[in-house]
Amino acid sequence: MTNSNKRLWILDILMLPAGFIAFFPFYLIIVNTFKTMQDAAKNPMSLPSKWIFTNYVQVFQETAILRSFVNSVTITLFAVLFIVLIGAMGAYPVVFNGNRLTRIATVYLLAGFMIPFQATLIPLFQLMSDLNLIDKIVGLIVLYMSGSVFVFFLMSGYMKTIPRELSEAAVIDGCSIWGIFWRIIFPLLKPITITSVIFQTMWIWNDFLAPMLFLNSSSKSTLVLQIYKAKGEFTVDWPMFMTLTVVTLVPIFIFFIVMQKHIVKGIAAGAVKG
Amino acid sequence: MTKYARQLQFLLFLLPILAIYSLFTIFPLIKAFFLSFTNFNGYSKVYDFVGIKNYVMIFADDAITSAISYTLFFTFAKALLVTVLAIPLAMILDQKFLTRNVHRAIFFFPSIPSGLLLAYIWGFILAPIGSGVLNTILRELFNIGPQPWLADPLLAKLSTIVVATWAVTGWHAVLYLAFLQSIPKDYYEAASIDGASRLQQVRFITLPLLAPAMTISVMLLLTGGLKVFEIPFALTKGGPGFETYSITQVIMLRGITEAQYGLASAMSIVFFLIVLAIAIFQVTVMQRRERGIQ
Repeated sequence: MTNSNKRLWILDILMLPAGFIAFFPFYLIIVNTFKTMQDAAKNPMSLPSKWIFTNYVQVFQETAILRSFVNSVTITLFAVLFIVLIGAMGAYPVVFNGNRLTRIATVYLLAGFMIPFQATLIPLFQLMSDLNLIDKIVGLIVLYMSGSVFVFFLMSGYMKTIPRELSEAAVIDGCSIWGIFWRIIFPLLKPITITSVIFQTMWIWNDFLAPMLFLNSSSKSTLVLQIYKAKGEFTVDWPMFMTLTVVTLVPIFIFFIVMQKHIVKGIAAGAVKG
Repeated sequence: MTKYARQLQFLLFLLPILAIYSLFTIFPLIKAFFLSFTNFNGYSKVYDFVGIKNYVMIFADDAITSAISYTLFFTFAKALLVTVLAIPLAMILDQKFLTRNVHRAIFFFPSIPSGLLLAYIWGFILAPIGSGVLNTILRELFNIGPQPWLADPLLAKLSTIVVATWAVTGWHAVLYLAFLQSIPKDYYEAASIDGASRLQQVRFITLPLLAPAMTISVMLLLTGGLKVFEIPFALTKGGPGFETYSITQVIMLRGITEAQYGLASAMSIVFFLIVLAIAIFQVTVMQRRERGIQ
């Protein structure tokens, strides 16, 4: 026993430098938010020679960070909501009323996994402008709804584990197909819905490409887009830029702490099932 | 309720997803295929079919060939590095040492924020000037002059790969960890009774049983790697020259900035085919490998 305990202590010590290197970038930006520009340029790695907190006040005054936060929340919330609903709805007939048509639909949707967003970018840009969806938050939400293909496959996989007798009993009780889905099937999908919501939220919240292409006016910026614009604005004022970065990391960090178990479970479930 | 009406009601559930997917994924792909044979410039309504001219031009375009070779190099180098690091990391994080949970969180966290943001953070570390953090460390510790981490073609490529590896290794370790935890402990007990060393146990029990995880992890790394954009864009803007231009960035440059729709569409189709070919090849090879091992 003592022998194995000793070995594990060695792991603690061995992992210290690796963990330190992995964490170092975050230490660096956090510590520099409490410095003046000169201090940060002279001693980027050390603790501040004099702690200042004005960067945090300034970042809220000089950038539209709250506005961008609200935009990010709005886009993510509605896009994820629709993605999950559309994906779950699509899976329902495929699993509970499978026939030749639903099988064709499944193969058709499966092709979506192989089509990278980038390959459709040029016509998509034209399409969005033809539909008058450029520079509109609604436009971005509609565009993200194509992410429901991924959720569709997660949902169909999970739905197959729901006993068919459940929905058949409801049919006998006179429940409509619409009613069966919303009242019986959908509530049972809670675990896979949580997984879907987490992964779609991370994708949309972090996405840069689509907001950069389809949102122009600064009042509609998402947080990631805001960071991109600020990078050009604060080229020399590193502490300001780092402060903006740290502030935008706060909601992500909270999400991480709250959801860590679910994220890990989602990765594991997705991986083990393959 | 007639059987016909019932079937129709069921199909209505499929309608929203089919509509959205057809409009925003399939239609643009077909249109890109069509445009790739034309000289459409985005403005003029009149355009001609030019046959495979755009596909020929891809290989004469320095920016595009550079983007293809960088993207492939980035994808394979990152996939290799992440795999080589994530498997031992997962094995270590599977042991019960004191700071295990702290380390799990530290390695996993970088996979949560946006790649753009992470790359900007690394931009301060890799800044080519003397005030760059890495250059400061090198000067103070080893008295080495400033290195052009993001300005030299090779160093810039390697820097983007290192940052991307740092960002996702923890995530892939978690994936491997899920498989490690599903390996029954008796396998190891039986092996150690038979006198197998710890190293032999890893070689003959752990690694073979991780084969399915590897298939998934490598597939995600390859398809994700080919779509790379944010990390090189944020670190180097694609430079120096076109050295770290990703395929995504070059499609946007030629297609949207310069309005060469035909050329960019041809590039999109080639990109789609590359992704398709690599994905099919990888899954076939690795599944055969899984069967061979088990």
